[in-house]
Amino acid sequence: MNLQNLPVVTKDGTRTDHEIMVYALSTCGFCKRALAFLDAHQFAYRYLYVDLIPIDTKNAIKQELKQRFKENVAFPFAVIDDKKYLIGFIEADWKMTLGV
Amino acid sequence: MANQKTREQTVIFTQMVAKKHGWVLNPDTAFYDSLVDGLTQNYNRYGYYHCPCRDSEGSRELDAPAICPCVWSKEDILEYGHCYCALYLSKEFAASGKEPQAIPDRRFKK
Repeated sequence: MNLQNLPVVTKDGTRTDHEIMVYALSTCGFCKRALAFLDAHQFAYRYLYVDLIPIDTKNAIKQELKQRFKENVAFPFAVIDDKKYLIGFIEADWKMTLGV
Repeated sequence: MANQKTREQTVIFTQMVAKKHGWVLNPDTAFYDSLVDGLTQNYNRYGYYHCPCRDSEGSRELDAPAICPCVWSKEDILEYGHCYCALYLSKEFAASGKEPQAIPDRRFKK
């Protein structure tokens, strides 16, 4: 996915065993919880608030995620190591997928 | 945009919705505050209280079902004890002391 020229935020962390990209809404409580979870466990990750980018770009990203993972896109939507994904923030699922 | 809402107006809006439906507001004040901020932001950019946890489709017509309280909130609160955003809780769920977790977006249910 081409994320060049988009306001993707890179967070540093001591855990770099996974490549994590989170698509989120700036207004969403569970999105904030998901990012706080990654911070608390010191993961390095990237995130993008899709509600703050042009709608055409946002729709293209959603379409690509939907086609790639065969899932309806809801937020937070995390892509792990470019192959797994997590939709919504259920802490137990995130822990299991990320090995916490 | 001429018609803007303040945070305080949004708090009153959520209180009125909760009272009308017999729900309670999320007692986690930090979480509640973030949703109030999100709702206020959505009102002030879209012109309506779009659900802060769902993505806008770009028009009021398409977004209508997701205007707070969304059309799925009653069913979600019945089934899960809270709405998709966990802004509104059933009294029973709130009394249980359980922490809301993300639930499936009912708009995608077949």
